[in-house]
Amino acid sequence: MHSKASLILGAGIMLLSGAAVIIAMDWPWKAALFPIVIGIPVFCMATAEVIWGLLDPAARSEAMDFQLSAQLPQKIATRRTLLAVAWMLGFLAAIVLLGFPLTVALLVFVFVKFQGREGWVTSGIFTIVVWAFFYAIFDRLLHLPFPAGWIQTWVGLA
Amino acid sequence: MKSKLVFMGAFAAVAVALPVGAVQSASFEGKTITIVCGFKAGGGYDRTARILARHLPKYLPGNPNVIVQNMPGANSIIAANHVYNVAKPDGLTIGTFNRNLVLAQLTNVSGVKFDQTKFAWVGSAASESTVLAIRSDLPYKNFDDLKKSGKTLVIGATGPGANTYDFPLLLKELLGVDLKIVSGYSSSADIMLAIERKEVDARAGSYSSLRPFIDRKLVHPVIRARAIESGIEQLPVDESFAPTPRARAVMALRSAPEVVGRPYVMAPGTPDDVVKTMREAFSKALKDPELVAEATKAKMELEFMPGDEVLKIVKEVLSQPKDIVDEFAKYIKFGE
Amino acid sequence: MIDALLEGLLLVLQWKAFAFMLLGIGIGFWVGLLPGLGGITTLALMLPFVYAMQPVEGFAFLLGMHSVVATTGDITSVLFGIPGEGTTAATILDGHAMAKKGEAGRALGAALASSLVGALVGAAALALAIPVVRPLVLAFGSPELFMIAIVGIAFIASLSAQGGRGMLRGFLAGGVGLLVATVGQDPQAGVSRFTFDSLYLWSGLDLVPVLIGIFAIPEIIDLVVRGTSIAGDMPKGRLNQGALEGVKDTFRHFWLTIRCSLIGTFIGIMPGLGGAVAQWLAYGHATQSARSAEERQGFGRGDVRGVLGPGAANNSKEGGALIPTVAFGVPGSSSMAILLGGFFLLGLVPGPDMLTTHLAVTFSMVWTIVVANIITVVVCFLFLNHLARLTLVRGHFLIPVILVLIFIGSYSSNNHYGDLLLMLTFGALGYLMVAGGWPRAPFVLGLVLGKIAENYLYISVARYEADWLYRPIVLVLIALAIAVMLYPLIQARRIRSRSVKHA
Repeated sequence: MHSKASLILGAGIMLLSGAAVIIAMDWPWKAALFPIVIGIPVFCMATAEVIWGLLDPAARSEAMDFQLSAQLPQKIATRRTLLAVAWMLGFLAAIVLLGFPLTVALLVFVFVKFQGREGWVTSGIFTIVVWAFFYAIFDRLLHLPFPAGWIQTWVGLA
Repeated sequence: MKSKLVFMGAFAAVAVALPVGAVQSASFEGKTITIVCGFKAGGGYDRTARILARHLPKYLPGNPNVIVQNMPGANSIIAANHVYNVAKPDGLTIGTFNRNLVLAQLTNVSGVKFDQTKFAWVGSAASESTVLAIRSDLPYKNFDDLKKSGKTLVIGATGPGANTYDFPLLLKELLGVDLKIVSGYSSSADIMLAIERKEVDARAGSYSSLRPFIDRKLVHPVIRARAIESGIEQLPVDESFAPTPRARAVMALRSAPEVVGRPYVMAPGTPDDVVKTMREAFSKALKDPELVAEATKAKMELEFMPGDEVLKIVKEVLSQPKDIVDEFAKYIKFGE
Repeated sequence: MIDALLEGLLLVLQWKAFAFMLLGIGIGFWVGLLPGLGGITTLALMLPFVYAMQPVEGFAFLLGMHSVVATTGDITSVLFGIPGEGTTAATILDGHAMAKKGEAGRALGAALASSLVGALVGAAALALAIPVVRPLVLAFGSPELFMIAIVGIAFIASLSAQGGRGMLRGFLAGGVGLLVATVGQDPQAGVSRFTFDSLYLWSGLDLVPVLIGIFAIPEIIDLVVRGTSIAGDMPKGRLNQGALEGVKDTFRHFWLTIRCSLIGTFIGIMPGLGGAVAQWLAYGHATQSARSAEERQGFGRGDVRGVLGPGAANNSKEGGALIPTVAFGVPGSSSMAILLGGFFLLGLVPGPDMLTTHLAVTFSMVWTIVVANIITVVVCFLFLNHLARLTLVRGHFLIPVILVLIFIGSYSSNNHYGDLLLMLTFGALGYLMVAGGWPRAPFVLGLVLGKIAENYLYISVARYEADWLYRPIVLVLIALAIAVMLYPLIQARRIRSRSVKHA
């Protein structure tokens, strides 16, 4: 995982910085200077990183940053990671389709009930409390604009 | 007999109710009006919107709730697009955005999805004139001194599209004033610090933002753009020095939106009576003594220009001949 | 000056002003705590209410609210790994790591105590600097500010892992940050850089969704994977060891805390550097205090010094930021820009007068910061152990709440769905970086400093051509930048020689 992630990052940065430099070459020099002066070294460093990574996959450098827990077996960890990602993407999709307020209630309830396997009552009460806070602060007090979800507009409710 | 009375009673009730119903066609009772502001909280457009939001309800029939929502992004093009394309023409959405959007439309900035002439114009809440202010310890007392000096004046600016940049640029390119524009300061306040440090000598900008520094005698204004605000009437106007009619037209084009300093619109297709009601409300609210007191304290000078006059100016800007627009686009880019 | 000092204190202690300050503290407490509420937006929303107040009352309210935000923002960063505010992201690295080890109480205690020290130092600096502040600020022009940005970028070396590979990745992360910072309209030619015709990207990338994405999302994924509470399976006893230990830590590393406070104050005084910079420089400096290779590795895994540094800096910078705002009418940070509006509303004209005729009012502001921070820290300590217990709550209750908060927090910057996509994209980046062992701090540093460095460079060259390189302060800063870059090598050599000596 460690070396795979590094390779993805390295290759990705190579692509992005290379593209950035190429795009920047069309601009007037004042706008292009910084991106090019930074982009070219970044491209070279990324290439070095990728080559180093391919030649010496076992080498690790521990960053001064947190590390993902390594306690669980790889299979379970991967499955749960994908699950987490699915929840987040699902949340985003639901917000677009159903609008923020409804999605908040839905997410909290479904997560606590099905992922957390709590009882109906606990899930229900928790959802209501969280939703009340959300509504009071972000809708009533701050008047954040929450566009209607696509489904509501399509059905004609909005 | 009884049924006749009942019938007459019912008829009378309906007869009384009908006119009341007709008058209430433009009532906002129980509704919430949203002012969509194209800039973040705290800036000039936002503060103007919020002060209006507080004082408008009592001048609107039905005393509705008026709130402000910020929809920043792309220099308020996003907000303008929203009010034009998404908001319903029911009078419940008002938009306020960058006064220069009409110029963005004129120069075909990509991403513009509105037509300023088709908005239902409520009006403008202020006029924001641009002035060039130079540091007080410099030997130039007025614009003539500056032109004759023979020395380069260093001007600090934030970036193309802002009046800090565009106003001196035209002075330099069209009037031939010896200016060096140093661009990239993160805000106009940082430029003032640079002036104190003597890193730059002058700054252009809206008169209202320069007022505190003029009052403090750090800088004094020497030339202004067309729009008038109290205190700067005596200053020479940049257009008056223009060497050719085309140069004058380009400068006039840059200044034109400033008279519509704080634009307020509603979605295209909003019924005329609703627009009329809103214009009246704005006009009265901007004369409300409490609002005026609060605005003065906040150093804002607010004055209403009704939507029909604004629309005239907008149409005039958008009907400029192509060669003037091309010349204009050579110098001025749309930005912050 | 002493009588102005005392007069200022008395002004704050009037019961009406005091009451407003408490109200401000109450509001600011929640604003800092909740990632969805931004300190700047709330300040802007509160401004109209200030209109009717007397000057001292108004300041007490606004400053009371504002001073507290950085402190409670640290709490969210420590407990949940989400930046409560854009200025408290650095506290996440070690603070949240400590929470995961079951040391949440200690981390919170350290964060609170260092915040208090930072606030006091910032306030003291504000008071003491008054005679010298004008010449000080005027001496730092655009060339000097550019060099400060360079020194900041040099800190990337300290924030990277040791060894060639570590440095390479650190600088890669930093370089990517610098590149990403160029997205948006450039202030020289007006070109829309890397916006691909998207209106959303026109104004560049908003810092808050990026920070939330890059820090919070990997933590959340990890939490789901572990399936436990934040504190995991740590023995419960250690949780309550907590707060007092954290306070003792602050005094154990007293000079580090003071130094980081001074860094924060200095960055705060320099207008135009932005609010997010100070915490990262302080963090970088804190890592330099590691005395062995293992100690250095310990940063990012729960070294309390990683909490002390940013905790102190993000409070002290507010005191520092008040200086240019009050003395010049030039806001030292975006929140100060709003406060400036408040000053006008209250009838005060910032400028040299505030340091002479109205000195008592200026001192009342200093006192407000001091008193507000003391009150907040005391209140937080009372609730601290309860707050720490949140780390024992089962993950599946916390995760949906955290998700809701980060989604709203990202959304509310610009009220645009694009920010949600931005957050998720940088969440993916953050996850890859953590998985690959790449440090995230240099990326943030590059992102935050990129625009500053570019703009001030252009201004310096346009104004002074090549002469700016010979200015005395610039030369000092060049030396400092080189020293900062080389420090990790010196540190490594010192560690090696020390271990050889002991062998």
